[in-house]
Amino acid sequence: MARRSPPRNGVGGHDFDSKKKRKVAEIYQALNSDPIDVAALRRMAISEGGLLTDEIRCKVWPKLLSVNTDDLPPLPAGKELREDNKDYQQVLLDVRRSLRRFPPGMPDDQREGLQEELIDIILHVLKRNPQLHYYQGYHDIVVTFLLVVGDRLATALVEKLSTHHLRDFMDPTMDNTKHILNYLMPIIDQVNPEVHDFMQSAEVGTIFALSWLITWFGHVLSDFRHVVRLYDFFLACHPLMPIYFAAVIVLYREQEVLDCECDMASVHHLLSQIPQDLPYETLISRAGDLFVQFPPSELAREAAQQQAERTAASTFKDFELASVQQRPDTVLRQRFRERLRGEERTKSILTKPRTNRFVKLAVMGLTVALGAAALAVVKSALEWAPKFELQIFP
Amino acid sequence: MAAELESSLELSFTGSGTVPGGGLPPARSRIFKIIVIGDSNVGKTCLTYRFCAGRFPQRTEATIGVDFRERAVTIDGERIKIQLWDTAGQERFRKSMVQHYYRNVHAVVFVYDMTNLASFHSLPSWIEECKQHLLTNDIPRILVGNKCDLRNAIQVPTDLAQKFADTHSMPLFETSAKNPNDNDHVEAIFMTLAHKLKSHKPLMLSQPPDRDQIHIKPEPKPAMTCWC
Repeated sequence: MARRSPPRNGVGGHDFDSKKKRKVAEIYQALNSDPIDVAALRRMAISEGGLLTDEIRCKVWPKLLSVNTDDLPPLPAGKELREDNKDYQQVLLDVRRSLRRFPPGMPDDQREGLQEELIDIILHVLKRNPQLHYYQGYHDIVVTFLLVVGDRLATALVEKLSTHHLRDFMDPTMDNTKHILNYLMPIIDQVNPEVHDFMQSAEVGTIFALSWLITWFGHVLSDFRHVVRLYDFFLACHPLMPIYFAAVIVLYREQEVLDCECDMASVHHLLSQIPQDLPYETLISRAGDLFVQFPPSELAREAAQQQAERTAASTFKDFELASVQQRPDTVLRQRFRERLRGEERTKSILTKPRTNRFVKLAVMGLTVALGAAALAVVKSALEWAPKFELQIFP
Repeated sequence: MAAELESSLELSFTGSGTVPGGGLPPARSRIFKIIVIGDSNVGKTCLTYRFCAGRFPQRTEATIGVDFRERAVTIDGERIKIQLWDTAGQERFRKSMVQHYYRNVHAVVFVYDMTNLASFHSLPSWIEECKQHLLTNDIPRILVGNKCDLRNAIQVPTDLAQKFADTHSMPLFETSAKNPNDNDHVEAIFMTLAHKLKSHKPLMLSQPPDRDQIHIKPEPKPAMTCWC
């Protein structure tokens, strides 16, 4: 977003500046209150403009992730990390090729130094968490943190993120990632069944959104300001929010989709080319809106239904429980646990007419929708989900 | 905005230089769907980009999931769309993600890096995996050794690769997506494959009048298939 650009949406430059000043003041107030007002910080990260500057992000991102910045452990020497690391070669290949992630015009030696740091952060987190597996695209996430907060803090934030929001992507296989992608079509179906049906008949699948999901759009957006704005949003929200945002992008392009030839290649091609001039603030607000209207518990049902897989109705209540549902896989695991008990309920769901299929997306207004989305995760930073021992998708 | 997006490599729709008069192919042109597989960093993206856009991409990044490129060509007066599905090299992607894209594939291109012996040694597992995804055995497959321009770094000798290719009844091509002097070679590889498909395989029409029907057009067998 061109934050300093004058009139936008009818708001004069002066108004915009004063609005921004007011927001900065509110953020510092939340940071300086005792205890820190994390709920307010979440709302700031979601609402228009997000956290505004990298300076603020350095202060707020750790709070959103509940990372203590007072005693960050020192980073071990890179050389030790690189010996005997099963992922080293792949990380090296991916980081060396990730030139586009660095600001254009950055001198080569500076960029190369950052690339070395990037490799070390990734290897460090992987070494300390042997249950995590590197995936191509992880480096796109880590580089964002490195560029905004520097290597030491980035290591701590990325480690927290990897054991929570990104945890499912880092399983030995991508089965859980695939299941999370299964949420995409049900969201689209709720808002625009025509687009949904079109995509289904094209058999486009959901892989066009894979890199969006597992890099939090870091891989596909070329303007770094857009990337960090989205990171503000995702860090403050439920881990499934990126899939809502993906749906919102598809829905925003509904006419293009419907005008497309109805085959896998054409639709995949169209959708995987993400437009660079998306109205991010509007889409963020819509994604929050959709999350509120069609919370993950409903989608778990739809996703299962759509895939004709084993179904189990999830009973978790999004608003009350989202605070302990920080890992997307929790949704899935919850479903599994409910499976045995849920068979009867499943039958009734499968035969139930989809009454809300034609419900129009209500315009709830930015504050209401985003406030509610924030509310859904307000307590989350304090109550991270416990580790679930149950592996349901072997 | 720094808009140069490499994953938007798909200049391909406009990059179809060989189509006389340019423009989109007629609605009912045939489609050849080709999947390109091989280890990470062997040059799958560069090869497909080279063929579709006509040049070596300046910078490429890791492919996440599957990228798609397309080019329209004319073979013996018939317009044909060649679809290249460029896949991620990391093993975790191919296990659960890529299989969807094996559907209705007409040909497979296996790629290894001539300067990286490990990428050559991975080929049997790629071949095995491909067998599991494809229903029939008679789908044309070719083997491409990439980066032959790095003469001093070659780790996979041609005779070794040739032997392997023979064992698996595949033609072998050694090439470089990068080498400007090799301008026509990448082109020739994919065009050879397209000729083979055109003369050999019954293929689906791109826009069947009725979506529920599959139109099969049997083609006469070629008198002779010359590969190299």
